[in-house]
Amino acid sequence: MAESEWTGLMAAAQAGNGAAYRRLLDEARLWLCRYYTRRLPSSMIDDAAQDTLIAIHQKRHTYDSSRPFVAWLAAIARYKWIDRLREMKRHSTEALPDDIHVEGDETAVITATILETLLGQLKPAQSTAIRLVKIHGLSVKEAAARTGQSVSLVKVNIHRGLTKLAGLVEKEDPAHG
Amino acid sequence: MDEFMAGLVADLKPVRRRRPAVEAAVVATLFAAELALWLLTDNARENLAQVAMTTQTFWWKLASAGVLTVIACAAALSSLTPVGSPRRGLMAFGVGCVVFLIIGAGLDWSLGLTNLAARLPLSAGLDCLSHLVSLSLPPLVVLGFLMRRGAATNLSGTALACGLAAAGWGAFVFVFTCPHDDPLFVAIWYALAMASTALLARLVLPLVSRW
Repeated sequence: MAESEWTGLMAAAQAGNGAAYRRLLDEARLWLCRYYTRRLPSSMIDDAAQDTLIAIHQKRHTYDSSRPFVAWLAAIARYKWIDRLREMKRHSTEALPDDIHVEGDETAVITATILETLLGQLKPAQSTAIRLVKIHGLSVKEAAARTGQSVSLVKVNIHRGLTKLAGLVEKEDPAHG
Repeated sequence: MDEFMAGLVADLKPVRRRRPAVEAAVVATLFAAELALWLLTDNARENLAQVAMTTQTFWWKLASAGVLTVIACAAALSSLTPVGSPRRGLMAFGVGCVVFLIIGAGLDWSLGLTNLAARLPLSAGLDCLSHLVSLSLPPLVVLGFLMRRGAATNLSGTALACGLAAAGWGAFVFVFTCPHDDPLFVAIWYALAMASTALLARLVLPLVSRW
């Protein structure tokens, strides 16, 4: 896509044009997948691209249409890439021995602990949205009011969070190889 | 993924583009308001007019703080976009500090480093430090708000630039009150106070501006 086309689409999106925005996001997603393919493990590419698209959405007012769009996009992609590398470093942990002894059989406590551990691996916005809507039973609207996120963003965060949780559970479950 | 993209499109609303010139005007207005408020509440030193006419050090302090504030503000505001970087501005700030320290040393070269205990009174220094840091806090809040609204990609550098700008302005305002004109006193205590504010900004602003 030509630079002028990117710029035009983003300027239209800033004015609220949904069709232009959708096209911009589709193109940006392809660009981001190519960008992250060279920089991240394949299992992280989709998540990183989505994360960057959310950042583009939240910070779209900082784009100056007199400047090249791709440079702006690349700067955000790089920022999110560094963020992800830091996150990977933070979450690297030592493996526990297989024969570790666990006292008692409080299933509920263990389940809650596992759930908390899994939720802890999500972005705070995602885990909060899931806790409020899926665990505490609030409506999406109530969760949006409580967190300050828009209704759509709460839905996006729940969707992304659950997808990531499913991935985490599958990775932990030996039945899935 | 389709649902995700649809969610973003559904959330789309027209946005007002970030305008650095407007941000600079807002910062200048709020900074000026702090100075006006400070002077109107009778905080200026009593012999201000006489000092302004007779003491070179007064103008050195004022010019140093003013110029360093402008440099740091420019560095901070220009780095609030993903493609901006505060590095050059921070380097210019460092060079500015060295230049102003050399000028300060030249103003009172004859004194050298003699009689340090009398020239660097601890209680007056701590008073200066606490005033200067307090005066830096309102500008720091303003710049922190802009940083949070912007999209800085070098969070620590931008936070440092915001801290230095706020500290510079705190120093500029305090010059009208501070009764000490010894360049050594200014160099030590003002620098310590500015470094404290910059450190505070460096530690706090990245936490509240992560995106």
